[in-house]
Amino acid sequence: MTPHEPQIVDALAAEYVLGTLRGAARRRFAHWRASSALVQERCRFWEEHLVALTARIRPERPPPHVWEGIRARLNLARSGSLPGARAARARRPGRTAAIAASVLLVAGMATLVYWRLQTGPLSETATLSAPSGTSLWSVEVYGRSGRLIVRSAQPPARPTDRDYELWALPAGGQPVSLGVLPPRGVQQRMLSTSQLQSLLNSAQIAVTLEQSGGSPSGQPTSKPLFIAPLHVVT
Amino acid sequence: MLLERCAAGDPGALQRLYELTSPLLFGCLNRMLHRRALAEEALQDVFVSIWQRAAQFRASRGRPMAWMMSIARYRAIDLLRKERAAPALVAELPEPAAESLQSQDPSETWAAPQGMLERCLALLNERQRQCLELAFLGGKSHEDISRLTGSPLGTVKSWIRRALQSLRSCLEA
Repeated sequence: MTPHEPQIVDALAAEYVLGTLRGAARRRFAHWRASSALVQERCRFWEEHLVALTARIRPERPPPHVWEGIRARLNLARSGSLPGARAARARRPGRTAAIAASVLLVAGMATLVYWRLQTGPLSETATLSAPSGTSLWSVEVYGRSGRLIVRSAQPPARPTDRDYELWALPAGGQPVSLGVLPPRGVQQRMLSTSQLQSLLNSAQIAVTLEQSGGSPSGQPTSKPLFIAPLHVVT
Repeated sequence: MLLERCAAGDPGALQRLYELTSPLLFGCLNRMLHRRALAEEALQDVFVSIWQRAAQFRASRGRPMAWMMSIARYRAIDLLRKERAAPALVAELPEPAAESLQSQDPSETWAAPQGMLERCLALLNERQRQCLELAFLGGKSHEDISRLTGSPLGTVKSWIRRALQSLRSCLEA
């Protein structure tokens, strides 16, 4: 295979990384990549970006024998046992505390990363405020997991038969309901795919006052009472 | 940097790397291969490959998770191809493919940032997004996607080609 137009190289690289380039064409492209800086660069471009799709994957802890198999295949020392696995050998008493501390540290890091993989980093934030500047609600969006967290600061009073409802305002589209706001405390909820996509395509969110339980039509029945910009967390 | 330590032959670094990244890699392999035993074998292949090729990793060119995920996905695609060619031999796993992958992550951030891609995906229509997910996350071929969606093969290829063109324009804007 010889160099072609950059657009063709990019198209092939994209399908190679996506996985739809198959068979002999895939093997030829892999060989071409090994010798072409342009092909390598385009493949890296797609690998770096498309890997974000894996945020949709639920992490699963592999069983312990997988690590044991890796260790055996690489002929690594037994010290490579995973935390939590029972130590088969007696250790010197003087080292026990240090080893235990190391194991706890590693286990803690693994737990932290596992949680992070599930919840993901904070993607966007917004603070809904009254005209006076008083903070009413703060909103956090965790794009990877589709989690929305709303914290009530000083929400305004409302009639007993009414609720405040949160809306995403996607560019060029209709408002999309993100649910009824909590009168107090912290509320966490999982967004649907369409809600998340609408939110990520929005520069602003808004609040309206609707009947109890939220607008029955799925669209706001009044003009927005409060609007706040979404800030992308970098 | 754990991959650098792996390249230097530090088994503890590989162990730490495994603890941090194996849940996501295993989840990916499970989803693509649909068989837990096969995914477990593939995960072993992947970490053997990571250990052997860690010296190829260049932190200036990318993030570690993208590099490792690519190794895992390409391994799964290779296994899927072999499984179709000779289903009876699936259990006889070959040595890891000698593909030349060079992407890395200087910050050692294992989770992939997704904001930019998500924003660009939002510009695609539902069928295009579905095709990309079936291919990337499910390991499906054009033909598989055609069967799953009930759409003509040519249409599926066109959706994917246009989706990738749109993504490229958005990502490079």
